[in-house]
Amino acid sequence: MSSSFDQIIVSEEWESTDLSMLETLDHVLNRGLVIAGEITISVADIDLIFVGLNVLVSSVETANEVLRKRQTE
Amino acid sequence: MKLYAYCLVEDPDAFDASTRGISGATVRLLQIDELAVLVTDFNADTIAVTRENALDHAAVVRSVLDRTTPLPFRFGTLVTEQQLRSYISARKPALQTRFAHVRGCVEMSVKVIRELSDEIKTQSRDEITTGTSFLEEKRREILGSEQKTAEAREIETWLHEQVGGLIRDEQVTIRPSEKLVLAAAHLVERDKIGQYKEKTAAARKNRPELHFLFSGPWPPYSFANIELEFKTQFGVS
Amino acid sequence: MEFSPENPLTAEPEIETAHAEEFVEQLRCVTDTLPSRINIDAQSVEQGLAKLVLTLIEFIRRLLEKQAVRRMEGGDLSPEQIEELGLALMKLESKLQELKTQFELTDEDLNLDLGPIGRLI
Repeated sequence: MSSSFDQIIVSEEWESTDLSMLETLDHVLNRGLVIAGEITISVADIDLIFVGLNVLVSSVETANEVLRKRQTE
Repeated sequence: MKLYAYCLVEDPDAFDASTRGISGATVRLLQIDELAVLVTDFNADTIAVTRENALDHAAVVRSVLDRTTPLPFRFGTLVTEQQLRSYISARKPALQTRFAHVRGCVEMSVKVIRELSDEIKTQSRDEITTGTSFLEEKRREILGSEQKTAEAREIETWLHEQVGGLIRDEQVTIRPSEKLVLAAAHLVERDKIGQYKEKTAAARKNRPELHFLFSGPWPPYSFANIELEFKTQFGVS
Repeated sequence: MEFSPENPLTAEPEIETAHAEEFVEQLRCVTDTLPSRINIDAQSVEQGLAKLVLTLIEFIRRLLEKQAVRRMEGGDLSPEQIEELGLALMKLESKLQELKTQFELTDEDLNLDLGPIGRLI
């Protein structure tokens, strides 16, 4: 999946701006309160996988369907 | 009509009505019970992850930090007013606990890069044809990675020793097999920021083989999440 | 208000490092796996699902490898068993590689932040 960020030009004056942006991104993405709802899949009380509901809508049973569909394409 | 939510605040007086948010929209305060949310109107279903939008988000959350400690929402929180009200009413105790936890604090970040010694591949891929040589190669990889893990944990322990006395809480991630071996978020009381900065500056000098990035103060993004409390309470994952 | 105005914080968070280039390189990975829009569309749902399933399998595969190596070191496997086990795991690794290619997922896509369990394996 491609990112919609500008190409980072490597030069003295851009570097610090980009670092600042990257640090900001690191804070505002993946952290903070989440309303949309996430799924944490735990095994034996250990959190293993954290999945955003924006990408996962159907259940794991349909994984076979998806794979079968791909094979016939 | 959707809302873009930036953060929750306990103190509505901290809000400055001249604040502008994403796409220059006017930020307003939505009062929900005793809490308030900073929102802008947003009339699409998606929000692009662009530099501009991310910076706008950060700026709005930042705008209240001088006067109060907000609970930031994650970037991309697009909701209806109803969803927002339901969310807050349902989680009020957990949110109050979170506010109590972060009150008077800010987040300071530490990231550490350390050089990885080159992997010595003992066999090329083509030479691994037997099951036994496959497992032997895995064994070498695993031993190498165990050493890296020990190194990463040592850095984590060391860092904690340096700042432990000055922080209220921490969120630390280590990635033993990467150059960016450690990323830590520290919840620091505001009147301790000076001491924290001194401590970290001194600590960095003691580890010349490590490369450090310090940033802050930030609103407490890493300490806002209440998911854990929610999970414990209901036994649901 | 919580605090006195005499102790305001600086306008922007300060960033302090002697190695800006290095950190830019490392932190850029944060943006590489981002969707460019936070959205639901058919393609990302499928791929998200495939990613979840393959991540689970990859996790189990790594556990199996670790366990196999431990058994091998423990000395309770015969040379024939080691050979068979190694071959089976080799095939599993190769099969998973095929699936990754089929779904256009890279190793980074399946990168697990294992949290506490990362320290067990």
